[in-house]
Amino acid sequence: MIYTQKNPALFLIGLSMLAIWYFTDTGGMNPVLDYLASGKPYKYRDELGTLPLYFGLFAVVSGLWHWLGNHREGHLDYFSSTIAGGMLILFITMLVRWFIAPVIEVISTGFGEVGNTGKFIHDLFGLNYVVLGIVAGIVIVNVFKVPKWAENGVRLSRLGLKTGVILLGALYSAAELKNLGGLSILMIGFFVLGSVGIVLWIGSRRHISNSMGGVLSAGMGVCGVSATVAVAPVVQAKPVEIAYTIGTILLWGVGCMFAFPIIGHLLDMSYVQFGAWAGTGILNSAQVAGAALAFQPDGIETLMVAEIFNITRVLILPVVVLWLAVWYVRKEGAETVQVNVGRIIVTKFPVFVLGFILMFALSTTGIFAPASHYQGKYFGNTADLGFKQENLLKPEQIHVLKTEIHRVERTDHGEALNRLIENGKIMSIDDDNAIRSLIKTGDLSTEANKILETAHKAVRHTAKKIEAFRDWITWLFAFGLVGLGMQITMGSMRQAGGEPAIIGGIVGFIKAVLSLIVVMLLIDETV
Amino acid sequence: MFRHILLASHGTVGAIAAENMAIQVCAPEGKIDHLIVVPEFWQSMTGDDWLNNGTTRDQFRDYLQTELGKEIDQQCDRIHKKIAAHALAYDRVIVFGNPEKALLNQASNTAYDLVVMGSPRTAAGIKGKFSLRSTMLTQKLAQTLQTALLVVPHPGTDQI
Repeated sequence: MIYTQKNPALFLIGLSMLAIWYFTDTGGMNPVLDYLASGKPYKYRDELGTLPLYFGLFAVVSGLWHWLGNHREGHLDYFSSTIAGGMLILFITMLVRWFIAPVIEVISTGFGEVGNTGKFIHDLFGLNYVVLGIVAGIVIVNVFKVPKWAENGVRLSRLGLKTGVILLGALYSAAELKNLGGLSILMIGFFVLGSVGIVLWIGSRRHISNSMGGVLSAGMGVCGVSATVAVAPVVQAKPVEIAYTIGTILLWGVGCMFAFPIIGHLLDMSYVQFGAWAGTGILNSAQVAGAALAFQPDGIETLMVAEIFNITRVLILPVVVLWLAVWYVRKEGAETVQVNVGRIIVTKFPVFVLGFILMFALSTTGIFAPASHYQGKYFGNTADLGFKQENLLKPEQIHVLKTEIHRVERTDHGEALNRLIENGKIMSIDDDNAIRSLIKTGDLSTEANKILETAHKAVRHTAKKIEAFRDWITWLFAFGLVGLGMQITMGSMRQAGGEPAIIGGIVGFIKAVLSLIVVMLLIDETV
Repeated sequence: MFRHILLASHGTVGAIAAENMAIQVCAPEGKIDHLIVVPEFWQSMTGDDWLNNGTTRDQFRDYLQTELGKEIDQQCDRIHKKIAAHALAYDRVIVFGNPEKALLNQASNTAYDLVVMGSPRTAAGIKGKFSLRSTMLTQKLAQTLQTALLVVPHPGTDQI
């Protein structure tokens, strides 16, 4: 079978990308970019000056090959056939990130702040490029269908996410990984195993079949659709049971992806708190990443926390598969299924996690950034360590902060602000975290918050390689999530219903609420 | 009586009522073509899974395909026996895709005297019974179908 389709679509995608680059480069796009920036500098100008050029050229050349070339069966044909779909996802991601999300922001800002929340509609509802990208993917697959020429490439989105997780390994300090790892093992251990147990218990009370109980408990407990896919053959779930479970999980997952960031913003959760909550409370692993980026679209601190929870979940998956296999055999009788412990562990082991560990190990050697980057986070707080004296706050800026300090509600925020006022700069990592948290509360005016942002940037030094990793990771996740959106069909979600929806709803709700309470009570704003 | 009937059935309560009706209205020595559609949403049933490796996903797809195949074979065997017991001819038509389109295609490609199908289940479904949300009976079908259509009333939960 020849997979590469003779179609001009990829070529046209390439031309469109080049057109974006050309009009940006020649200034033809300036009126549009000025409108999108609303008086501020347009934040994606650097990206517009490079990415559409490089990817556009690649798409034009490979597009001509797809359209006019002779294709023969083989590995080259198979891999080449994925380019068109991959470029389609990338193009959609570009359009959403550079144009659609900023338009929504302009419109939303025009409506003014919502009540006394201090936030605009798009902030509150997380209508940023990540969420809008996923929605675009869902709309495309359900309204227009994924075109034949793009079908193979859409699957590349999984590769994008896995590569993103692997690169993410380079960004953790040993202390962060230790603390986050410990926290995630505790929370995931409790909530995952608890949810699996509760679903099995409720399932037996409501007399659903063992196979239904098994597949539903994995989906609700561990990592949503991924766990259902892994467990279904082991517990011999019937197709209709799989459909009900996956439908329920997708419906919940998409709902949570929108609801969690809104709740997180309303409760002024920190990145760590939100990452931990999303990583525990959201059923489906793809939507964990989506919610984390929706909560913090211009940074990856939340994603870093949430992904540690995702990794813990996927590492626990083989254990849960094994548990359910043994449970099912005991319930149904030993003749039904043979449990091969070694095979389950080996086949279900997530190999990409090894890549994550490898990147982390490499980062500890200082290959990507100096050790001080990890030890002291990003700080050089003295002239010796790279702090520039011209970055000290100006007297008029200090005056603004002084006049507004009475509006600060939290003691730790007030103390950090006092030290900033006294010294003209942020003095420690803890103070930096407190100042960033203060910015998020909306206690101070926009002008004061801008001054705080300036003070934060003055002490935060990110190594260039790390900066590049952050950009790549953001793009890889955005790419992956848009592609995954293109795999969420209404046909699958419509299957949600019956007992699985009731049990799933109860357990999903309990898990989300309990994990929120635990996070708010027990987790600090930093790790 | 109808000599050549297209029966849409995938074994639900409503569809079984349709099977019985098709047998009743089929002329002696007539033929019933049994249409069974595997809805296209199965293709996207791995949803947005991205954590599993290729082996696990392949295992899942193979498992699902085998199970769906078994279910279809069971349904076909059951209906075949039922129809043969009334000395009627049976043929099966298995299609993957959109149920409504599949029925319209089949009805336009072959000359039938009657199309028989069950009525959709109630919105609440039937307690203890799992069935998929994938109906053939749409407005478009009713408007487009050029063959007489018999929609058999749902027997209700007390008939199960």
